[in-house]
Amino acid sequence: MLRFLLVRFSLIFITLAVVSLAIFGVTEVLPGDVAEAILGKSRTPGALETLREQMGLDRPAWQRYVEWIFGVLQGDLGNSLVQDRPVTEILGSRLQNSLVLAVTAFLISVPSAILVGVWAGVRQGSNADHTVSVISLVAISLPEFVTGFILIVIFSSTLGWLPSSSLVMPGTSPLARPVILIMPIATMTAVLFGYVMRMTRANVIEALNTNYVRTAILKGLPRWQVIWRHAVPNAMLPTIAVISINVGWMLGGLIIVESVFAYPGLGLSLINAVNRRDLPMLQAISLLIAATYAISNLLADLAYAWLNPRIRISS
Amino acid sequence: MTNNSINQTDSAPLLEVKNLGVSFFTPRGTVRAVRDASLTVRRGEVVGLVGESGCGKSTVAFSIMGYLPGIVQVDGEILYDGKDLVGMDESELEALRGNRIAMVYQDPQTSLNPTMKIGPQMREVLKTHLDLGKQEIRSRAIELFESVGLASPDTIGERYPHELSGGMQQRVVIALALACEPDLLIMDEPTTGLDVTTEATILDLIVDLKDRVNAGILFVSHNLGVIARVADRVTVMYASQTVEDADVRNIFNSPQHPYTAGLLSCVPKPANELGITPRLKSIPGSVFEARLEAGNECLFAPRCPIAHDQCTQNAPEISDADGHQVRCFFPDEVTSDIWGELKPRRDFESEDDAVVIEANDLNVRYRSRQGKKYILFGDEAQPPVRAVVDASFKVTKSRTLGIVGESGSGKSTTARALIGLTQKSSGSMLLNGDELETDSANRSDDQRADLRMVFQNPTASLNPKLPIKHAITRSLKLFGNFDNQGAYDEARALLEAVGLNPDYIERIPSELSGGEQQRVALASAFAANPKAILADEAVSALDVSVQAQVLNLLLRNQQENETSFVFISHDLGVVRYVSDDIMVMYAGHVAEQGPADAVLSSPSHPYTEALLSAAPEPDPDATPSIIRLDGAVPTMRERFTGCFFADRCHRKIDQRCDEIEPPAQSVNSSNHIIRCHIPIDQLVSQS
Repeated sequence: MLRFLLVRFSLIFITLAVVSLAIFGVTEVLPGDVAEAILGKSRTPGALETLREQMGLDRPAWQRYVEWIFGVLQGDLGNSLVQDRPVTEILGSRLQNSLVLAVTAFLISVPSAILVGVWAGVRQGSNADHTVSVISLVAISLPEFVTGFILIVIFSSTLGWLPSSSLVMPGTSPLARPVILIMPIATMTAVLFGYVMRMTRANVIEALNTNYVRTAILKGLPRWQVIWRHAVPNAMLPTIAVISINVGWMLGGLIIVESVFAYPGLGLSLINAVNRRDLPMLQAISLLIAATYAISNLLADLAYAWLNPRIRISS
Repeated sequence: MTNNSINQTDSAPLLEVKNLGVSFFTPRGTVRAVRDASLTVRRGEVVGLVGESGCGKSTVAFSIMGYLPGIVQVDGEILYDGKDLVGMDESELEALRGNRIAMVYQDPQTSLNPTMKIGPQMREVLKTHLDLGKQEIRSRAIELFESVGLASPDTIGERYPHELSGGMQQRVVIALALACEPDLLIMDEPTTGLDVTTEATILDLIVDLKDRVNAGILFVSHNLGVIARVADRVTVMYASQTVEDADVRNIFNSPQHPYTAGLLSCVPKPANELGITPRLKSIPGSVFEARLEAGNECLFAPRCPIAHDQCTQNAPEISDADGHQVRCFFPDEVTSDIWGELKPRRDFESEDDAVVIEANDLNVRYRSRQGKKYILFGDEAQPPVRAVVDASFKVTKSRTLGIVGESGSGKSTTARALIGLTQKSSGSMLLNGDELETDSANRSDDQRADLRMVFQNPTASLNPKLPIKHAITRSLKLFGNFDNQGAYDEARALLEAVGLNPDYIERIPSELSGGEQQRVALASAFAANPKAILADEAVSALDVSVQAQVLNLLLRNQQENETSFVFISHDLGVVRYVSDDIMVMYAGHVAEQGPADAVLSSPSHPYTEALLSAAPEPDPDATPSIIRLDGAVPTMRERFTGCFFADRCHRKIDQRCDEIEPPAQSVNSSNHIIRCHIPIDQLVSQS
């Protein structure tokens, strides 16, 4: 077990190194750099040259990359080229804001999707099952920006119950005004709920048709026990894979949802960093996203092994 | 087998199924899975329910459990202890299931929850039905595991199903069924799919249980040998009806329904006193056709050799004579030769010694696919698996080499190496004296046309989306120089030759029964007259009546086209029937090889002896032999020393077996070879 974790963490480390190299490479290849972005249209060649020298952009690319990566290894993600402040300082509160959004959406959608999925699966073919299926299909089919705007039209423009934008004053927590979180969370929950619920439903139906569930029924066990002890644990195996893939996808959704509601999270920072070629910021956010993705995969594998004795690693 | 249960059986029946009818409503129409089934089970008695697949046996079994998923209509009565189970509500059924009526299933591997330890799977039954404390449940579980002969009963509860062999899994399932000391046990093909050696040990357990538990047992099986071994009484089903019901000896010795007589004559038997193997009789057609339409006629009439006009105008009812019930108008006309005269197995012997297939020191090694556990760190690769070790054999013109052994013995790997699907690691393979390349892609078209293979599962071997003509015309066009029209005509002729309606050529595989699909696979293999055919468990999935047709078809093809066969099967009876030579394989090694008669008689390798001993004979008076093998075929890896069979051998002598590879001994300097440390003169059968 310990060795398994060791191996997986070193693999994650390698993945992150490759990701950082790829992002560095791409920003190098793209036309334009941070100096041009800062000076804008009014730049003169001389000013550009001076700024580049100040920022150290005149040195060879590999040298800058090696310097940056040594910094990272010592816990220093560098300074934002645009704001000239440590990246960690800028991203700290942004990360917090995004986490509030993502974690709440995850905690709401996954358990409820599993419950509803099991509920619909054991009633396969009933009207309740059909209704739930249609609703979840709609939730999946609509992109977040559409869902988000529909919510804004209904709850802000028409009913006026909720604020249409979720601006947070710098230095305050979004939790101080929870009302601004409702619509972003609802938007993110919708799609994740749809996927997980459909997957759970399909797997529960499949598990109910297996021979071991038949054995459980013919043992004379009460129905709840057949479902929750025999069908659901086996149905969760493929569902876990879907959940872990969706976590990665959720991070992408985060960027869109934050733009739609003007919510100051990592997503907005990422878009700004890309626009301004702010490499240290871009690297830090990308590494965060990649790490989240890799770790959620690792957690999914661990949960899978926990539920499935056949692939458990012998120690 | 002793039959001392008569004195216990005069009490009121424990289970009475009366005129049961089960219809499934499917989108494609109503399917009458059971039309009219009646049977009784008394306490202390084993009733065998026998018939081909598709006759409704399992539906009857599951009706008794009240488990028929889907939209179903059930008619008739199922009386258990006087109460009708039909229409009983779910909560009443829950109280009976697993408690008073319990079931053992085919395929134990899928019947146990893979994500749950054995212990909790057992304890939940006890907890649900019995009022026991935690400690009592624990000790009762251990007791149950012990009673079904599981080794280390006190720790087995900590293991997961996948950590047990198939035989152990089935013992667990039986222990689960026995948990609450049920009155009625339903066993649905409990040994089907298990290796013959495992089957023998499970059957021993069931025979032993019969005397120990005071329950009635309904034993469903398509295998007459198995039924003969365990049953006191037998009910025969055909096409959704019960057609005969009598004491086991009456069924086997004087069947009164032509179907029962036909089934019995389809089972390969050993050579008679004159040394002649009688040709198998077969029942023409298949039960497939009788399942849908239901006019006012005897459902068996279309396949019956003694059908009269009356049989197609009226439906016969069950009649009873001295407890022997039969659904036939003319039971007196049923004799042993209504299915044809006794003829020798084939009416020619090949004189040609030309060697068609030859293998010399053939070896196949598998490297573990995951050589290392993890990408970066981890264990060194395990040594390669020895799938086939130094196999040498010859198949001459129009003769058949049979290969037998349990699963994992290397039979299929040998065939796959010959056809070029699996890479050999060393040794040579020759076809008509020419070297066969390891990879089939490097072989000449002639070689590919001359050596063909038939696989076990026809459904999986035929493209489900294409009409069957594609499977046959493709071989003809590739190997036979036929143009489109010529191939089409030839394909129709081939279908006719394998006993199928040539108009089937436009059908897709799902419109054919399993037996018909396998005949299509054979027709495709026969296309362009190959010199040799490798048949890998080609009849194993078929019912006995269809199996007999296919076996006779193979023999006829062999006679007409001088084809050589390598015939692989786990069924000794079938191999005995078709083979001139036999090779017995175990864990990749050839344990014994030689002429069929010599291999199947004494002296023989201890493994051959055990295999022969395990095969159930379709004769209720046969004395079951006592040699039993526990466990399963081990995986042989490189660096292994000693005798390949030492672990399971009942005649292991001393250190030599663990340390030294056994010598190949020749019996009377013939080509009958036994690989064993025991001297030939001591290898005479002990049973």
